[in-house]
Amino acid sequence: MKRCLWIVAVLASTFACSGEREGLVIGSKNFSEQIVLAEIMAQQIERRTDITVERRLNLGGTIVCHRALVAGQIDLYPEYTGTSFVVILREKVISEPRVVYERVKAEYDERFQVAVGQPFGFENTYALLIRGEDAKRLGATTLSDIVPHSASWQAGVGHEFIERADGYSGLVETYGLRFDTPPLAMDLNLVYRAIEEGKVDLIVGNSTDARIVSLDLVQLTDDRGYFPPYEAVPMVRKETLARYPEIAPALAELAGTITTDEMRRMNYQVDVEHQDAAQVAKEFLDGLETTEAAGAGSNC
Amino acid sequence: MELIRFFLERRGEVLSLSLEHLVLVVASTLMAALIAVPLGIVATRRARLGRWILGLANVVQTIPSLALIGFLIPLPILGGIGARTAMVVLVFYALLPIVRNTYTGITGVDPAIRQAALGMGLTDRQLLMRVELPLALPVIFAGLRVATVVSVGVATIAAYIGAGGLGSLIFRGINMLDNRLILAGAIPAALMALGADWGLGRVQRRLTPAGLRTERGSS
Repeated sequence: MKRCLWIVAVLASTFACSGEREGLVIGSKNFSEQIVLAEIMAQQIERRTDITVERRLNLGGTIVCHRALVAGQIDLYPEYTGTSFVVILREKVISEPRVVYERVKAEYDERFQVAVGQPFGFENTYALLIRGEDAKRLGATTLSDIVPHSASWQAGVGHEFIERADGYSGLVETYGLRFDTPPLAMDLNLVYRAIEEGKVDLIVGNSTDARIVSLDLVQLTDDRGYFPPYEAVPMVRKETLARYPEIAPALAELAGTITTDEMRRMNYQVDVEHQDAAQVAKEFLDGLETTEAAGAGSNC
Repeated sequence: MELIRFFLERRGEVLSLSLEHLVLVVASTLMAALIAVPLGIVATRRARLGRWILGLANVVQTIPSLALIGFLIPLPILGGIGARTAMVVLVFYALLPIVRNTYTGITGVDPAIRQAALGMGLTDRQLLMRVELPLALPVIFAGLRVATVVSVGVATIAAYIGAGGLGSLIFRGINMLDNRLILAGAIPAALMALGADWGLGRVQRRLTPAGLRTERGSS
């Protein structure tokens, strides 16, 4: 269903964006965390400025968002540094967060006229997840631990993971994993249901996903450092920053405010408790303002 | 040229996914036929029940296939992740054309022929097996043909729930915004639909009793 929505959205955007437009457009990929982050940015800009913000969320995968950003159909969207580094810039995986961030910042500035904002404060890395009972039975905590057992296992992944440079084939090669059957590729949101149903034994999900806790899954450590660091950052068109200089300080206020636990909690509210992402974002920003006010108060 | 090279590079994957796709389509259409032909026959024998059967099959057809998959995912026996759910959806979609054509094929038999058969003392069962079904077979088969061609298209959505098939390439292509991947899934699917239409069309002509053939005259 989401696919259809974004196809409609993309079609609509091609017609809508032919002329000059007022305000700015925030995009996001097609999973809850992205929608929450986009909502947080949107509401933060609405709170701090008079700019009208249009939301064009659920836009499919990384490349869809990136192309829309570069083409000016959206003005900003949340991204992860490692994803930009590997998928967009097609660089070899590096595990040093600072280096990845700086390289992405410099390259985006030069090649795409896009400014990479300050990190929100958490990382959302690919998480190799197995059922808690399997982890206990095998005493497995790292990915290397499960290599000898994995032949009869069925892996479940999102479609994008099969094709990405930091995806399936490299992972299998790095760890010498051998599965008897090829991975089941499905919509990224369904991998959790697949492991819950017992259809698959190992999934590649996101480390901030709330369902890791609610389904009692265990995240295996990437002990060979296959995945790059994936710090969440806002990606903003430089042209947009020039047109609306007031959004830079508004977004800077969000830097370092979202911890991994905080993000996982918000994902839980949306994915498990089925709360509205906009409401979750609003409560987060309210909380942020209360702590700031309290901090300011104690300073006086 | 670039596209052809891409196809050649991936031919193993395209081939195995095409095979998965074909298995999904063939298995589900056969299963649908096993359910739909008897339903169609029942519909011709009991008028009131018949209206219900045809009406229900019509309603199922109007549910968007993605929505149907969405409804099925949380269900215990019919649903879940994987090929079984996809099969259920495909069977649902293949039902209507076959039920409808079975019904139309049988009710379309010339009343004079039916009267003659009854006059010769055939029972209802004999009338069905010896007169009505043989005469309706080409029409029933036409329904099967439509169902198969529709299934080839609907089966591309199966990849959404991890049931494999050519849709895997299409979804991957959509996520990565890579048209070559989308075409690597879409072109074989289109060829499969055309091939099924052509092949089943030939079978359908052979099934038509010589006296009823309209094209190419009768020999």
